[in-house]
Amino acid sequence: MAWMSARPLRPGLSIKAVGFSQRLMRRIIPVLGGLVLLGVWQYGAANTPSYILPSPGDILARFIENPALWARAWLTTVSVALLALLAAIILGSSAALLMSLSRTLEHLIYPYAVTLQVTPVVAIAPLILIYVDSPLVAQTLCAWIVAFFPILANTLVGLRSADRNLEDVFTLYHATLRQRMILLRGPASLPHAMTGVRIAGGLSLIGAVVAEMVAGGGGFGLAFLMVESSYRLDIPAMGVSLLLIAATGIAFHLILAVLSRRLLQGWHESAQDNVQDGVQDSEHNHATHHHSTAPRG
Amino acid sequence: MLSCETLTHRYPHTGQALRDVSFRIQAGEFVCLLGQSGCGKSTLLRLLAGLERPTTGQIDRRTENIAMVFQSPSLMPWADVFDNVYLPLRLAGQSRSQARPVIDEMLAAVRLPDSHHSKPAQLSGGMSMRVALARALVTRPTLLLMDEPFAHMDEITRLSLQTLVHDLWRAQNFTALMVTHSPFEAGFLSTRTLVMTPKPGTIYRAQTIDLPAERTDQVRHDPAYGKICSQLLELVAYRADS
Repeated sequence: MAWMSARPLRPGLSIKAVGFSQRLMRRIIPVLGGLVLLGVWQYGAANTPSYILPSPGDILARFIENPALWARAWLTTVSVALLALLAAIILGSSAALLMSLSRTLEHLIYPYAVTLQVTPVVAIAPLILIYVDSPLVAQTLCAWIVAFFPILANTLVGLRSADRNLEDVFTLYHATLRQRMILLRGPASLPHAMTGVRIAGGLSLIGAVVAEMVAGGGGFGLAFLMVESSYRLDIPAMGVSLLLIAATGIAFHLILAVLSRRLLQGWHESAQDNVQDGVQDSEHNHATHHHSTAPRG
Repeated sequence: MLSCETLTHRYPHTGQALRDVSFRIQAGEFVCLLGQSGCGKSTLLRLLAGLERPTTGQIDRRTENIAMVFQSPSLMPWADVFDNVYLPLRLAGQSRSQARPVIDEMLAAVRLPDSHHSKPAQLSGGMSMRVALARALVTRPTLLLMDEPFAHMDEITRLSLQTLVHDLWRAQNFTALMVTHSPFEAGFLSTRTLVMTPKPGTIYRAQTIDLPAERTDQVRHDPAYGKICSQLLELVAYRADS
């Protein structure tokens, strides 16, 4: 933010006050920008038919018509994404734990985990939908596929990143493998693992949406409603779906950013106080963790 | 207490680190291993600690109760000071309440009586090193190995930590073996200094330090101390040049 550094500090204004007003500005500016955009959109769409460009008012009206429908669809999509994320956390960290203990297992699992990751989920989804009867299970499986790898890869790096000297301390005192895992490698892996979870959080939602679009029914989530509305040229309904999906993505991101900061507060650089916003926080994190796995859609 | 005979060590990629190292340490001694950077001092310490196996040679340890302090404090950043010092006792199966009196005593001994709940990130470098010392001494080791623990400290902190280590050694009667590249540190702390040649390192001189058993800050102004330091300096530098 060049405007901040370019302006000299006013005499008499304490550093703390400047910090506060900077933080306030950081929150207010995006909100103001959003409001201006909405205004322009509403004005511009006023003379355009809503099946070409619906105004924000049209979209809101479509939502208010039947909020229960949207709530149900939202719940479906979110359940699939959360279930997939949970499964990815459990299976990803377990696999990383096993791989960190055995090079043989690592050589066995890793290439296939990479294969799973690099194959676009859109290409796998139709097959999964054929083989798995329950559409909800199939969709969860699709979302799990994209969320699994970042957690596996980052947790594995984390488990191997414990301080070498501390490893020596544990050796010197004849620690058991269990003690080493619980007291040293587990906590040491947390910053990396949380980076993985934060990446996976966004990906699980993407996976759920993609799976619903490919499935074309059965789940009745937000993406299904979006596809269905597009057949009827109901553009405002598509807008509702899109905005709900985007808002859910932001919520996932913020919740995981806060959780990550809570867990790492007081000991890890990524949770320092001067890194405040969720968005800023994640950029910082991705920049500092060079070995973290970049998200792939 | 500790002896080794004709130790050699060779790393697969970097070649021979040690050749033909033999020495003996008596109980209660404070021995410094003095040598230039990269002469294999740290490797020797790791062999003696049992963290690595020598390529050839024999090590005879009369005790299993060994503790080690590293060049960095290497504390667990997620745990507070109490839990860091508690670690060795916890690994040995002691409960928190059982361990508490010993930990309190140890933290007082390293002059950190009120920092139980601080996280390492809140401590200065010198304070962190004192926590590392408390962690090493909390099991009442008979042999304390130190790998250039004060190399990264500023001068004032280094001097006060040296005095602290000396006081702890006097009070707790452990045998100490410290790796250092500073002749001044070796002269102040040790009862005997083993001088090593550059890589592949071996011990070529054992120098008994003829100073009073109790070393206060006064010793640093003692002409005898100055003479010992210049001797040690000459020994290290001479071998480096030739």
